[in-house]
Amino acid sequence: MSLSVKHLLGIKDLQPQDIETIFRTADNFKEILKRSIKKVPTLRDTTIVNLFYENSTRTRISFELAEKRLSADTINFTASGSSVSKGETLIDTAKNILAMKVDMVVMRHSASGAPHFLSKYIDAAIINAGDGTNEHPTQALLDAYSMREQLGDLKNKKIAIIGDIMHSRVALSNIYCLQKLGAKVLVAGPPTLIPKHIKALGVDVTYHVQEALEWCDVANVLRIQLERQNMPLFSSLREYSLYYGINKKMLDSLQKKIIVMHPGPINRGVEINSDVADSEQSIILDQVENGVATRMAVLYLLAGKKDLE
Amino acid sequence: MKVVIKKATILCAQSQYHLQQKDILIVNGIIEKIAANIPVDKKLKVIEGKNLHASIGWMDVFADFADPGFEYKEDLNSGMQAAAAGGYTDVMLMPNTQPTISNKGQVEYIINQTKNKAVQVHVIGAISKNCEGTTLAEMYDMQASGAIAFSDGKKSIQQSGLLLKALQYVKSFNGTIIQQPIDESLTQHGLMNEGVISTQLGMQGKIDVAEYLVIHRDIELLRYTESKLHITGVSTAKGIDLIRKAKKEKLNITCSVSAYHLLLTDEALTKYDSTYKVNPPLRTDKDRKALLEAVADGTIDCIASHHTPHEWDAKHVEFAYAQYGMMTLETTLHQLLSIPNSKISIAQWITLLTNNPRKIFGLAEKNIAVNEAACLTIFSTLETNNYTDANKKSKGINSPFLNSTLQGKIIATINNGQLTMNN
Repeated sequence: MSLSVKHLLGIKDLQPQDIETIFRTADNFKEILKRSIKKVPTLRDTTIVNLFYENSTRTRISFELAEKRLSADTINFTASGSSVSKGETLIDTAKNILAMKVDMVVMRHSASGAPHFLSKYIDAAIINAGDGTNEHPTQALLDAYSMREQLGDLKNKKIAIIGDIMHSRVALSNIYCLQKLGAKVLVAGPPTLIPKHIKALGVDVTYHVQEALEWCDVANVLRIQLERQNMPLFSSLREYSLYYGINKKMLDSLQKKIIVMHPGPINRGVEINSDVADSEQSIILDQVENGVATRMAVLYLLAGKKDLE
Repeated sequence: MKVVIKKATILCAQSQYHLQQKDILIVNGIIEKIAANIPVDKKLKVIEGKNLHASIGWMDVFADFADPGFEYKEDLNSGMQAAAAGGYTDVMLMPNTQPTISNKGQVEYIINQTKNKAVQVHVIGAISKNCEGTTLAEMYDMQASGAIAFSDGKKSIQQSGLLLKALQYVKSFNGTIIQQPIDESLTQHGLMNEGVISTQLGMQGKIDVAEYLVIHRDIELLRYTESKLHITGVSTAKGIDLIRKAKKEKLNITCSVSAYHLLLTDEALTKYDSTYKVNPPLRTDKDRKALLEAVADGTIDCIASHHTPHEWDAKHVEFAYAQYGMMTLETTLHQLLSIPNSKISIAQWITLLTNNPRKIFGLAEKNIAVNEAACLTIFSTLETNNYTDANKKSKGINSPFLNSTLQGKIIATINNGQLTMNN
């Protein structure tokens, strides 16, 4: 088993076959994670650096856990308190790290295309853990994996992605991933947060959240990316919550029971109310659990090791 | 200097030899003879080759030589060498140096450093002090010291009030304002053209509205002031259409585009290659085709190089942090010859590179005729040229054509009594 790519820079570069391969591998790892001994020796001689130029808690922890479960040696590098603040370039930092004989790089960066840029200069396999407003491929993989657990085959299933589409790398990766799996995608949110040309990617657009909820089988609600907005794109969190937030009453008004997802961290009471986030329709914690298995699968497949137990 | 150019097709609309294949004899910088066959002797330097063309020297209206202040990117000498290698005998420099060219002393520095060289450098003075876009620079004084036109260069004038005053102010000395039209409030977070490609790449876009909004405003300010305006770096279909209409209304407006906007589109960016990060950005194929049509119908007057050389470090960083611009002076011929499905003849391109810019910026018309001072560009459209790190003349590294074999070759330029041969 292997992937058609050397790096996981984005879902855009994957074949549908690759996604299936990752899912099948993740199934195995998920089973392993249920054992009493959750650790396998698969990546025992592999060194992985987690290169995080941007704040992250859950993605970094999820990757780190995945790496540890695979018995890899890991190094954590975060931008604050590192040489980046002394003005070192990305190439220099990466070359320095690689001089220490690192095999894989998990990278998060605030600039779109940063991992693509790095891939031209280093030999190690790179996994994009989020680049600017471009992609967050492992999030999309774990999202689709979680949906599949609930719905089976995603062909012709209706997925609504709701919220800040413009600044969200989760949205773009989700769109690419879901389309490769045959699902239909609708994006919903305020017009200022939806890219003008998004329809060219083959998705539908609505500015009305209720409409999206009525249409979909799954609502993937995105975090309002306050930190990535360069100018005011809506008036206040209060108004956002009033007109674009999701509450239990809205879910109860629907004809069918939809599934609610969120990549976290949640702004409770802004894009999603607690009565939704904690409801039985929410699979937010399943997403977190599947994140580890999916990332183990990606790490394993890109490391190119043979002996999966 | 005694030079004979053998069997060159003369491309010079005002010459009686236009489109004829002739030998040209130049003695001490003066064209002494033009004839079907000029005998060669040992004292003569002979320029020959297949498919040779001779035009009057090319003129660029918008280049950055980064001197003073950024001599690690380019300096006046390397810039002039790059220009000559690209077939240029005249180059207009934008004022975005450090300090900016916004007073008489700075204008004189450039003029003194570039006197009597094979490439004639012309200075564009700043419209506003330090190109900051707030108060007028001493344009009258700069004009008196030799500045050819006025612009804030890479910086677009944002304040309508300032541009209005600038357009009025230069009327007393018949000056020309050059503007690169960009509304910065609409583009400040963008990195490339906003469109399908930027959406696919997850990159923030620069919308085309930001260009034609400013063109529209500038045309109205021009109408009011009855002054003279040259818009450079037009990149959008709608923008060029506004200029076409303004020309029909007989406003004193002219414009130029870069060769790369005629050749490339935003699809060049799919690998996040910062070599293609330019401002205004590479647009869609629809825009590119509209620009080509505007060349064909005469709306576009000149090809402007927008030559912006950068050192390695400026470009080899994350796309968002890479500096804007491409170095282009040495590859104009190749770029124009590489345009797919171009219906523009080489003679038409030459008009945009020679007569039009001289006319717009008030330089004496040149000619290819006996007893004229030789100001010539000699080139072949069929020969190829290996453009490499080793033989490039610019200090910059940021050309997508570097280290490849290019269509077309500049053989030599002759200007100010000096012959510059290309290897």
